[in-house]
Amino acid sequence: MNFDLNLIRNFSIIAHIDHGKSTLADRMMELTDTVAKRDMEEQLLDSMDIERERGITIKASAVRMFYHHTDGKTYMFNLIDTPGHVDFNYEVSRALAACEGAVLVVDATQGIEAQTLANVYLAVDNGLEVLPVINKVDLPSAEPERVTKEIEDVIGIPAEDAPCISAKTGLNVSEVLARIVDTVPAPTGDPDAPLKCLIFDCFYDNYKGALSYVRVFDGSVGAGTRIRSMATGNEFDVTEVGVFTPSWKPVDRLTAGEVGYIAASIKSVAETKVGDTITEAGRPTKEALPGYKQANSMVFCGVYPADGAHYDDLKEALDKLKLNDASLTYEHETSAALGYGFRCGFLGLLHMEIITERLEREFDLDLVTTAPSVVYHVFTLDGQERIIDNPTNLPPAAEIDYMEEPIVKATIMTPSEYVGTIMELCQNNRGTFVDMEYIEADRVNLHYVLPLNEIIYDFFDSLKSRSRGYASFDYELSGYAKSDLVRLDFLLNGEMCDALSTIVHKDRAYAKGRAVAEKLKDVIPRQQFEIPVQAAIGSKIIARETVKAVRKDVLAKCYGGDISRKKKLLEKQKEGKKRMRQVGSVAVPSDAFMSVLRING
Amino acid sequence: MIGVYVHIPYCLKKCRYCDFCSIPIDETAGRYRSAVEKEIALSKAKYPDARVKSIFFGGGTPTVLPATDLAAILDAIRAAFAVEEDAEISVECNPKTIGFDGLKTLRDAGFNRLSIGLQATQDDLLRRIGRVHTYEEFLSTYDAAKNAGFRNINVDLMHGLPGQTERAYLDAIRTAAALEPTHLSAYSLILEEGTPLYDDVTAGRETLPDADAVADMEDAGMALLDSLGYRRYEVSNFAKPGYECRHNLIYWQNEPYLGLGAAAHSSMIEDGLWVRFSNESSIPAYLKKLEKGRLPRAERIVINTFEQMFESVMLGLRLVNGIDRRAFFDRFGCDVIETYREAYDKNDRYGFWDHADPAYLRLTKTGMDHLDSVLRDFRERKLIDFLR
Repeated sequence: MNFDLNLIRNFSIIAHIDHGKSTLADRMMELTDTVAKRDMEEQLLDSMDIERERGITIKASAVRMFYHHTDGKTYMFNLIDTPGHVDFNYEVSRALAACEGAVLVVDATQGIEAQTLANVYLAVDNGLEVLPVINKVDLPSAEPERVTKEIEDVIGIPAEDAPCISAKTGLNVSEVLARIVDTVPAPTGDPDAPLKCLIFDCFYDNYKGALSYVRVFDGSVGAGTRIRSMATGNEFDVTEVGVFTPSWKPVDRLTAGEVGYIAASIKSVAETKVGDTITEAGRPTKEALPGYKQANSMVFCGVYPADGAHYDDLKEALDKLKLNDASLTYEHETSAALGYGFRCGFLGLLHMEIITERLEREFDLDLVTTAPSVVYHVFTLDGQERIIDNPTNLPPAAEIDYMEEPIVKATIMTPSEYVGTIMELCQNNRGTFVDMEYIEADRVNLHYVLPLNEIIYDFFDSLKSRSRGYASFDYELSGYAKSDLVRLDFLLNGEMCDALSTIVHKDRAYAKGRAVAEKLKDVIPRQQFEIPVQAAIGSKIIARETVKAVRKDVLAKCYGGDISRKKKLLEKQKEGKKRMRQVGSVAVPSDAFMSVLRING
Repeated sequence: MIGVYVHIPYCLKKCRYCDFCSIPIDETAGRYRSAVEKEIALSKAKYPDARVKSIFFGGGTPTVLPATDLAAILDAIRAAFAVEEDAEISVECNPKTIGFDGLKTLRDAGFNRLSIGLQATQDDLLRRIGRVHTYEEFLSTYDAAKNAGFRNINVDLMHGLPGQTERAYLDAIRTAAALEPTHLSAYSLILEEGTPLYDDVTAGRETLPDADAVADMEDAGMALLDSLGYRRYEVSNFAKPGYECRHNLIYWQNEPYLGLGAAAHSSMIEDGLWVRFSNESSIPAYLKKLEKGRLPRAERIVINTFEQMFESVMLGLRLVNGIDRRAFFDRFGCDVIETYREAYDKNDRYGFWDHADPAYLRLTKTGMDHLDSVLRDFRERKLIDFLR
C-alpha cells in the first residue's frame, strides 16, 4: 500500500541559532498528534545535551508526521532537520538534497542573520521551494513588517504573506502546516524503477548496527533487499526498514518519495557514508545521485587525558563516539610533555570543540588538548614526500627542501560597512584578495584565498567580533600551495614542551612567538621557582618571558582552632593543582595548551 | 602536661578583617563567667589528673569582661587542675578595654603575660581596618600594664593592610620595639570571606597592597625585627631570647591542650586516643548546654596516627627550629624524613631544607616562605601507602 506521492511533502527548517527552529518542530509534532503533548520533552529533535545548551543541531534527525489538511486529505510530512555550522556544510547540503522545500524561520525581533543566508542559498541551489515564516511575533519588540521587507530585500523571495507565528505559544503554526502543502512540491519518482536513495545521515544503534537515514528517489526497499553502496561497492542485506515517528518504527517498505531508515547489520557508520547513493545490488540504477564527497579531516589536534591513568577510558570513549561519527579519526600518539594520548582529526574547529566537549561531558573525562594543526606536505631533500599533521613529527629544517600547506577558498558575506575591517583581518592572516561583489546595496560577498592554518585558531571569532556577528563565513579546501613555514617551539624552564609546538609562516613566527610567550607567562601560575618561558625556532631563541617565583605561600596564622580548617585549605589548594599538567618541572593549567594559541588576528 | 585555652568571644566592636568567633559585647556576657566555671568543673571530672603548664585567655577581647571575672575563671582553673608553679599565664587585651586597676587585678590574680593588639601605629590605618583605638590609647594601655607589673608583654602588628606602605610598617615595628616588649607578633593580613573588609575589597571599595608589596614588607620587617633583637621563632612570631610564647609552642609542637569557652577547640588524649573536639560556637548554644549541666561539645573526631603525624609536620614546620626528629620518632616510631621521603626529596631539590642540624627537620627562610606548597607535597603521602 504505497502512499500517494502527491500527498507527500519533504522539507527542512532553516533558522539561525535561537530563532526557534526546534520549538517550531515541536509544535508541528503536537499539532499533527505525532507526539502527545504530555510526552513532549522540550525540543525533541535536539537530543544531545550540547545541542540543547548551544541551541544548535549537530547531527541531523528526521520525523514523519501526518497532517489532516482542510482539503480533507491526509498528507505525509517528512521533516529533515539540518546541522547548522560551516564545519557541517556538506551534511547540510545532503539533508537539503533530500527535500523539495524548506521552511525559513526568521526571528521577528532580530531579522535575518548572516549565518542563515548560506543555508538559504544552499536550499535555493538545491532547487528547494522556500517558505518564509516570521517567528516570535508575540514579543513586544517584534517588527514583522521590517523583517518581511528584509527577507524580500536580502534573500529575494516574496514574503508579504509569510505566516506570522509564535512557535512558543503555537500561534498560527497550523497556517504553516497548510502552507507547506501549498508551497512545497510533492516528490517525483518512479516506484517501479531501480532503487535509488540518498543517505543524508547515519546513526549507530547497539542492536540494529549502523542505520542509514535515507530519502528514496526511485524504486522501493524492504527487509531482504540486497543493497549496494554506489560509493564503495559494498553490498548488504537489508534487515529492516522504518520511519521516524520520531522514534524508529519498522515498516514493510520504503517507496519512492519517502524518508526513513535502512538497517542492514552494518558494523560501523564509517560504511554508511553521507551523500552516498544506495541501490539494489541485483538491479542497480544507472547513475548515482550527484554531490557525493568523501569527508576529510581538516584539523588535527592531540587529545590527552589530564590524568594519564585514564588513557584507556579515553580510548573507549573515542571508540564509542566514532561509531556514530564517521568523520572523527584518531590514532595513538605519545607526547613527551603529555604522555599517551591520541591524534584526532576533525572536519573543522567546531567539530573539534564538540567532540572534546562530548568526551568531557558524556564520558566524564578531564582532557588536555594541544594546539590544532592542519595537514602539511613536506618534501625532503632526499626526494621523499611526507604528510605531517603533528608539528612534533616535522623533520629537521636542514632536511627539508620545501613545504606545502592547505589553502582554502573563503567566502565572507557581510554588511558593506564591515568590509574594511574584514579585509584587514584577511590580510593579517595571509589572505589573498580574489574579488568582491555586491549582492544588495549594503551587502557584500568577499572572496579570499587563505591558508587553512590561519583560520583554525580564532579567525571565526575575530570575524564575528569585527562584524558584530553579522558576517558569515564559508570555506572549501582548494588545494595545496608552497609556503615558507617553520616550526615554532616553546621551552618552559629550559625544557621543550612538544604539546605547544606549532607550524607557522616564517614572517609570522616572531610576532607569534612573542605573543604566545607573553600569554604563557600570564596563564602559568607562579611556582616555587622562577620559570623562563622561551619561544624558539630550531636552536634560536626568539622571545623570552619570565614567570616570577611565588614570594609567599604560607598562612600567617595557625593556632589550635585552625588545624582542621588549615588541612581543608591544603586539600582545596591541592584540588586546584589537579587541573594542572606537570610538564617537566613546571605545572601548566590543562586548558593552557589550546588557549595560548588563540592570539587575536 | 597540657595547655589550657579560654576563649572570650566578645569585643567592643568587631574589626573589619576579623573572622574569629567574637561578637560585640551583649547581655550574654553576664552569664559567661559562670558558664565557663561550670565547664571547668565538668572538665575536671573528665580529666582529673591533668597537669597544666600554660594558660591562655584569648578572644575576642578577654578584657571586655570585668577583670574580676577573668580572675575568677583563672582561680577556678587553678582549683580544678594541677597548674605548674612557673606556668605561663597569658591574657589578650585591646586598648580602651581595660585600665590600670583592671590590669592590676589581673596581675595580682596570677596572669604573668599580656598580649596587646596594636596592629599599626598610624591612626588612619587603624581606622581603615575598623580598630576602635588610636596609637595614643594603645600607649596608655601599655604604660598601665607596665605599672601594673607586667614584665612579659607581646604586641601584635600586621602588614598588608589597606593603604599601608613598607615604610609605615617598618615605622610601626620601630615604634613598638622602642617600648621594649619581650615579644612581637607580625601577621600578614588574611582576607577572609564573610568579613566586611572582604566585601569591600571584592566590590572594589577598598584595595590591598599586591602580593609582591606584601612580601617586600614582610621580608623588610623580618630583617628589621632581627636587627632590633627580636628573633624569629615561628612564621609570624618574634621574641627576645627566652621569651618565646610557651603556650603557642604547645600548638606548634602538636601537644595536648584543653579549650574552654564558646568555639574553643581542644586536642586531648582520651582512653589512649588522640581526639580533637570543638565547643558550640554560638554563644547561646554554649551557655544553654552548660546551664543544663552538659559539656558544650559541638564536634569530636579521633585523629589517627597517620593524621597526627601530618599535623605534627604541618605545625612543626612553622617553627624556625623545625621538627625534633628524635621527639617525632619517640612519638610515632618512625623517622619523619623517611616517612615522607618523596616530599622531602622534592623540596630538597628546591633547596628548601636547612641541613645545619641533622637532629631537626628544618626549613630555610625561603622554604618557610613556601610552607603551604611543602605541606601539599607532604599531604600527597597516602595512608594506604604508609600502612604498606
